[in-house]
Amino acid sequence: MAKDTNGYNIIGKPMAMTDARAKVTGLGKYADDLSVPGMLIGKILHSPHAHARIRSIDTSQAEALAGVKVTATGEDARNPYGILPIGHDERAFALGKALYIGDNIAAVAATTPEVAERALDLIRVDYEQLPGWFDPEESMKASSNWINEERPQNIEKEYHHVFGDPEKGFGEADFIAEERYYAGEVNQAAMEPHATLAVWEPDNRLTVHSSTQVPFYLHRTIAAVCEMPMSQIRVIKPLIGGGFGGKSEIIPLEVAACVLAKKARKPVKITYTREEVFLAHRGRPITIVYLKVGLSRAGKITAVQARVIQDGGAYCGYGPVTVLYSGALLGAIYDIANVQYDGFRVLTNKPACGAMRGHGTVNVRFAFESILDQLSHQAGLDPLEVRRRNLLKAPCITANSLRVTSYGLPECIEKVFERSGWAEKKGNLPYGKGVGMACSHYVSGAANPIIRSNMPHTTVHIKIDRDAAVTVYTGASEIGQGSDTMQVQIAAEILGVSTDRIKLVAADTELTPIDLGSYSSRVTFMAGNACLNAAKDMRDQIVAAVARKFGCAADDFEVKDGRISHKSDAGKSLSFDEAVTVALEFHGALVARGTYAPPETARGGKFKGAGVGPSPAYSYSAQVAEVTVDPETGQVRVDKIVAAHDCGKALNPLTVEGQIEGSVYMGFGQALQEDMIWKDGRLMNPSLLEYRIPATKENPEIESIIVESIDPEGPFGAKEAGEGSLAATIPAIANAIFDAVGVRINSTPITPDKILDALREKQKLASGNGANAANKPVAAGGRL
Amino acid sequence: MIPAEFEYQAPKTLDEALRALGRHGDEAKILAGGHSLLPMMKLRLASPRYVVDIGRIRGMDYIREERDKIAIGALVTHAQVTTSELLRAKCPLLPETASEIGDMQVRNRGTIGGSIAHADPAADYPASILALDAEMVVQSSSGKRTIPAADFFVDLLTTQIRPGEILTEVRVPVKRAGEGTAYKKFHQPASGFAIVGAAARVIASKAGQIEDVALGMTGVGSKAYRATAVEKSLRGKTASESLIAEACGKAAQGIDPLADIFASAEYRREMASVFARRAIISALEKAMGRASSPSKGAAPGKTK
Repeated sequence: MAKDTNGYNIIGKPMAMTDARAKVTGLGKYADDLSVPGMLIGKILHSPHAHARIRSIDTSQAEALAGVKVTATGEDARNPYGILPIGHDERAFALGKALYIGDNIAAVAATTPEVAERALDLIRVDYEQLPGWFDPEESMKASSNWINEERPQNIEKEYHHVFGDPEKGFGEADFIAEERYYAGEVNQAAMEPHATLAVWEPDNRLTVHSSTQVPFYLHRTIAAVCEMPMSQIRVIKPLIGGGFGGKSEIIPLEVAACVLAKKARKPVKITYTREEVFLAHRGRPITIVYLKVGLSRAGKITAVQARVIQDGGAYCGYGPVTVLYSGALLGAIYDIANVQYDGFRVLTNKPACGAMRGHGTVNVRFAFESILDQLSHQAGLDPLEVRRRNLLKAPCITANSLRVTSYGLPECIEKVFERSGWAEKKGNLPYGKGVGMACSHYVSGAANPIIRSNMPHTTVHIKIDRDAAVTVYTGASEIGQGSDTMQVQIAAEILGVSTDRIKLVAADTELTPIDLGSYSSRVTFMAGNACLNAAKDMRDQIVAAVARKFGCAADDFEVKDGRISHKSDAGKSLSFDEAVTVALEFHGALVARGTYAPPETARGGKFKGAGVGPSPAYSYSAQVAEVTVDPETGQVRVDKIVAAHDCGKALNPLTVEGQIEGSVYMGFGQALQEDMIWKDGRLMNPSLLEYRIPATKENPEIESIIVESIDPEGPFGAKEAGEGSLAATIPAIANAIFDAVGVRINSTPITPDKILDALREKQKLASGNGANAANKPVAAGGRL
Repeated sequence: MIPAEFEYQAPKTLDEALRALGRHGDEAKILAGGHSLLPMMKLRLASPRYVVDIGRIRGMDYIREERDKIAIGALVTHAQVTTSELLRAKCPLLPETASEIGDMQVRNRGTIGGSIAHADPAADYPASILALDAEMVVQSSSGKRTIPAADFFVDLLTTQIRPGEILTEVRVPVKRAGEGTAYKKFHQPASGFAIVGAAARVIASKAGQIEDVALGMTGVGSKAYRATAVEKSLRGKTASESLIAEACGKAAQGIDPLADIFASAEYRREMASVFARRAIISALEKAMGRASSPSKGAAPGKTK
């Protein structure tokens, strides 16, 4: 095997994902592909009202229908749950009130989907409709008719943070900009709709196969809701067709399937329709950002003040964490001493929002990078140069107590500066064409767990027995991001074997130790480190056995090129298989363990809400977008995006590039097209025919650049790669539109009509002043 | 969603199909490529008791020249229209239009007859069918009749086709000397349907004297229509940028534009003018024997 410059055999080399063949051939099994004898099909009855008291539910006619085995309502499982310990406000089915159109009212389990559908029509629910709250800024003024009586004024949570002296900072500013930004609501729209198969076992245990990013939290929740000990429940994660945060908390169908299975004492499968995926939601909330930023003549940011209102929907979900991320990562990408943050998570009668890719950071980044562009122009400075002048000096601690250990942002900026041709293009392209740049960053896992404890965040076991196969047992959840492949690479690298020697068993609560889940981009850093530690433990055991056989000290040996060899005596060398045999003679089957918990120094400050934002390491991204705007129609074509991402060390450059491209595409979708459109709490576009995910034909060309800052604590120096690039894409496009046609659109998606309205407004102002006629958009084309 | 229950029939001949339709009357719906009917059934916007699948009838996918017309069988797919050498040479507007429909999968399965008979207000063909003054041939068990395009589209999803009838053929005229055509479209990004589609057919001298002009519009109102006000303003005139721009300001005159979650009525009205103008200019340039200018995108000579 060829080694790279760092001496690695496998790390840093492109490797196809271990599940690629199964996925590409269609042979891989997703939750909906699973089937067991006697399996029933479950269907959920959703509320047709946005806010209504439930007077009564009559399921008798449904139960009488031939083929219906059981029905379930809120009375069958009264225990509340929620992903956050402070937000247990969901139940299997609504008790007392329905809180949004799509809320879960009851369910049936029947022999076929057709019977189940018909049975839903036979359930009689008597509702008393209540006025609904749909606009977050209206909702937070509510004096009565609250959505949740325990949340006065419909405010789920609010946080108020001040770092440094913002007032003084604004006093020192030569330029101040103040704007309101609005980001529309988006859904993950993962290719695989959610599905759960809950199997009631003959010994009264429950086995749950579910499309989840968080099998461990699902395990806890099912135990609480079904009133069973965790030891009687097994959760298995099959292949996942994309998560992006939409499967990172407990989704109603998971609970419903388990409640039905327990009641029927039969296996029950529920698969969401696409409409139900939108109604279960957990996407990115509508976010309103009132932002004020001060800039000195020298281009230094002097102060930031943000008031952020998030429309969380009817349940808590990850809400408080989302609004805290918005504050924590608002200014921490740059060196900013003075920051004031007021964040509000507001309840409305709509589906609950959640932890979508780039959790909490994306919409504030859109606002911040847009206003920074605006201020740069006000100050007559190049916006890219302004970023250069506000860089952190890492390693450092930010104003809000985040520990930054590695900081590849300067290199990201220089890379996109060169590769995009920024110096030649910025401000110099013809009318209708423009370039814009923006930066973003993200955590490599949360330093503090959702449920506070002193346990490791992840544990990995490795076993070697007489077949000499290396089996890695990991709780980490492969959701398409490369979790499995990454651990195979690490184990193979440390043990000096090829990757096909590694078997990986993942995300099965009966077989694998706990990992907290695939969210907040924690897997490479945390499960990667645990796997690294387990592999080192295994290597040490094998080396110790070899040394003992030769009567030498373990330190005299090294693992190299698939052999365990004495450093100075070439005669004392065994192949990996021979060494394993020696070790098995001493120990029997070999078992190794590795864990990871973030260091105390990475866990953040002491103020209220300080627990969210701290991470053992941060990724960074800089991007330049190049666009063409049609000034007659307002249509935007993104011609190219150059994206540089600091992932510490690219363990697998192939998957890192895939993640950068995926992030950019998702950001592109939110920037220009994707928007959940609401009318009195009703989603008007709950299908992929009307909710516009970008397709191949409109996706821009992307040039991905990997920047490696080699984090001191990451596995082989690695940090996150899956989320950090998304946020920069949106403001990069918005800033490029300004460069192209001179208007700023402060709300997403940036649709053609918004651009046309802004151009018209600008024209009106220009002609009103009788000046700057050259600036006005005129119809294309000369004389025929 | 799952469609409501229905009975599926797949006749092998046109006569069998006509008999089936005769029996079921308005309880039956015709399935060809399935790209319009099946989504409506899944959304339960349509719940026919009988689905008569005409897709297995042989001999309805021809494209042939008959004197000064080209006859196109109703089961010809959009992909066949796009790639037909005959149409590209003698009626290029139709291949140009077909190439803008949906995506590759849709074009491979969807049929010209299905699309026209469905009369979706945002479908592409109707604009071109109108601009070409095409004819639709429909058959029933009692005989055959021909409906001119101008009479064919009645309203949203409604045509002159009666229960028991099948659209079997579309007839378009062969291109004349001095004729240029163009189809310009604003795509709905998700569905690919036309927010606005403008099909122009211009007959002009090399000097730009417009002898005749036809402009079919789709996507704007509840049905495709001929923008007669635009046509009237241009017919017999010498083309100029300002004349065309002014005329195309009337592209949605007398129309009550649709409004949906993607485009407001006001935006649609405005885009109708823009795309009408682009289609007319492109068609005119072809009529005058000039190559199409790269007018899309950045306007020259503007500063920021």
